[in-house]
Amino acid sequence: MASGRLGKHLKILEFALSSMLRRRMKNAGLVIVFGAVVFLLSSIVFLTSALRAEALAVLEGAPQLLVQRAMAGRHALIPLRYGETIARLPGVGAVTPRYWGYYYDIYTGANYTLLGIGDARLQAPGATALRLVEGAFIAPRQRGVCVIGAGVARIRGARIGGIVSLRDARGWMQEYEVIGLFESPSRLLTNDLILLAEADLKALFGMPDDGATDLMIEVYNPREVANISRKILERLPDARPIGHAEILRTYETLFNWRGGLLLAMFLGAVAAFMILAWDKATGLSADERREIGILKAIGWETADILALKFWEGAALALVAFLAGVTAGYAHVFYFGAELLAPILKGWSVLFPAIDLEPRIEPYTLTVLFLFTIVPYIVATIVPSWQAAITDPDRVMRSV
Amino acid sequence: MVKLRDVTRVYNQGRPNEVRPVDGVSLDIDVGEIAVVKGPSGSGKTTLLALIGCMSRPSAGRILVAGRDVAKLPERFLTEVRRETFGFIFQQLHLIPGISVLENIMLPLYPVDIGFSAAKRRALALIEQLDLAQRRRFKVETLSGGERQRVAIARALINQPRAILADEPTAHLDGGLSGELMRIFGDLRSQGKTLVIATHDPLVYDNPLVDRVFTMRDGRVLDDGDGDGGGA
Ligand SMILES: Nc1ncnc2c1ncn2[C@@H]1O[C@H](COP(=O)(O)OP(=O)(O)O)[C@@H](O)[C@H]1O
Ligand SMILES: [Mg+2]
Repeated sequence: MASGRLGKHLKILEFALSSMLRRRMKNAGLVIVFGAVVFLLSSIVFLTSALRAEALAVLEGAPQLLVQRAMAGRHALIPLRYGETIARLPGVGAVTPRYWGYYYDIYTGANYTLLGIGDARLQAPGATALRLVEGAFIAPRQRGVCVIGAGVARIRGARIGGIVSLRDARGWMQEYEVIGLFESPSRLLTNDLILLAEADLKALFGMPDDGATDLMIEVYNPREVANISRKILERLPDARPIGHAEILRTYETLFNWRGGLLLAMFLGAVAAFMILAWDKATGLSADERREIGILKAIGWETADILALKFWEGAALALVAFLAGVTAGYAHVFYFGAELLAPILKGWSVLFPAIDLEPRIEPYTLTVLFLFTIVPYIVATIVPSWQAAITDPDRVMRSV
Repeated sequence: MVKLRDVTRVYNQGRPNEVRPVDGVSLDIDVGEIAVVKGPSGSGKTTLLALIGCMSRPSAGRILVAGRDVAKLPERFLTEVRRETFGFIFQQLHLIPGISVLENIMLPLYPVDIGFSAAKRRALALIEQLDLAQRRRFKVETLSGGERQRVAIARALINQPRAILADEPTAHLDGGLSGELMRIFGDLRSQGKTLVIATHDPLVYDNPLVDRVFTMRDGRVLDDGDGDGGGA
């Protein structure tokens, strides 16, 4: 009788909820502790997965193959004639020089990435994963203007028609009118990128005419990237070809290192959680034990009592889980993961600000769910089960 | 209704503290009678009641409930037999504090395949019958002793059992209330219920409503006296 069976569980659920209200102090305490653990775990998980997604978004806009020049182990300007050599290799399409550099703003203490937009670069493949949200991009031969990320605009309080002043290599202030705002799949880019006309950028940094920061290589067949990289190295020993794979590896190293620290914290939290669960497991109060005995004696089966305790555990865990996850989400995406900042110091070298795109992935939630709710319910059911399998006649003698 | 044949219950068997609170007991209780098990404290009354009511299993002997041997039934079936056959009134009552009279009475029906409203209707009828209507929303810990006793009786009746087992039901009642309790038991008998009462209270075993009295001492039944009570 399906309806009867459902009715039975509804009644047991009802009693579970009323029992929780009866012990509201204890349950409130459990929700707080459990919620705090979920909060910590979810903050870590949200942060790592958001950072990873951020890195992938950066990668998506990155060219198939970049060639830099290394000198004394450091990144140096690459001569334009290198591009001519590379362009002659079979399988290689357009070779586009990129002009970019870092700029430290002594007034605001912020780091920006300046990227030069040349006439050729406007047509280069994958040149911009940037999406203009307001104004215009830099037109050919236009000078004295800039296009900035929406995040930069927010931080500097700049708008279209405003002026961005930068100090050039000789120490003179140069002014650029803001003509456009862009968004990109990565918040990290919109927060630190400023686009200038290529000629302006070269002048600002004092770059020679025959060198570029690096070269963007169009490769017809993505599977040829490794092969072409090898050929470039044969002809130009001081070149440093960087494919997607290398970029990914750089990010992975970074994330693994951070991830390791985070993992340590994660495990610490899990340990704390286990202690909590163990405490709960051994902490079945005399009252609860007595009540289980009474239910047994008035005709409840062991399975009914387990159902009761399951509902109790599930209801409590669900409330705590939702509260913890919501707080963790707000913490990471609206409060800049402030509580985790100590282990994230150093991000700022690479990325100006941790201002992550709010995102929630079913996978992350599932992992969190499995790591918190499941052990909790198991931990609550086991001791109840131990209490429930004792003979009901005990109750006839207990006071 | 219930037949016991050479029933023994041993605790701590083989150890120095071995006890036999019930030792080779045989007795018959018929449908629709009030049977009393009397005897001093420690004579084994509670243990015997638990055995009759399928709360525990005998170490030896046979127990027949409505003709069915329950001594070796697995837990699930034993619980089922118990639920359908017996209602218990415990010496300590064992009501659950913090929930209402109504909820306490409905509690045995929660794990049974019966809808919530049907369960509630049944409970309300018993509340009416036992004169608890004014108190049904009260938490049980706020009730008087007599009221609590009646809540325990209602809870024992909610599964519509054929027999009621009561362990020292007058232990916490004064004389007047004991008389009222026996009247309620008399009503139940007239509805066809069987009652088994463990007691050492003369107000119970000397009551004219009692049909049969078993006297226990040291785990043995001394007589299966028909009508030691004034009923005969
Ligand atoms: N679980 C148990 N373990 C050991 N001894 C027990 C247990 N239950 C009852 N007894 C003993 O059995 C004897 C009879 O107990 P009981 O049936 O409660 O008697 P009564 O109800 O007549 O007072 C007592 O001596 C008691 O200590
Ligand atoms: Mg007793």
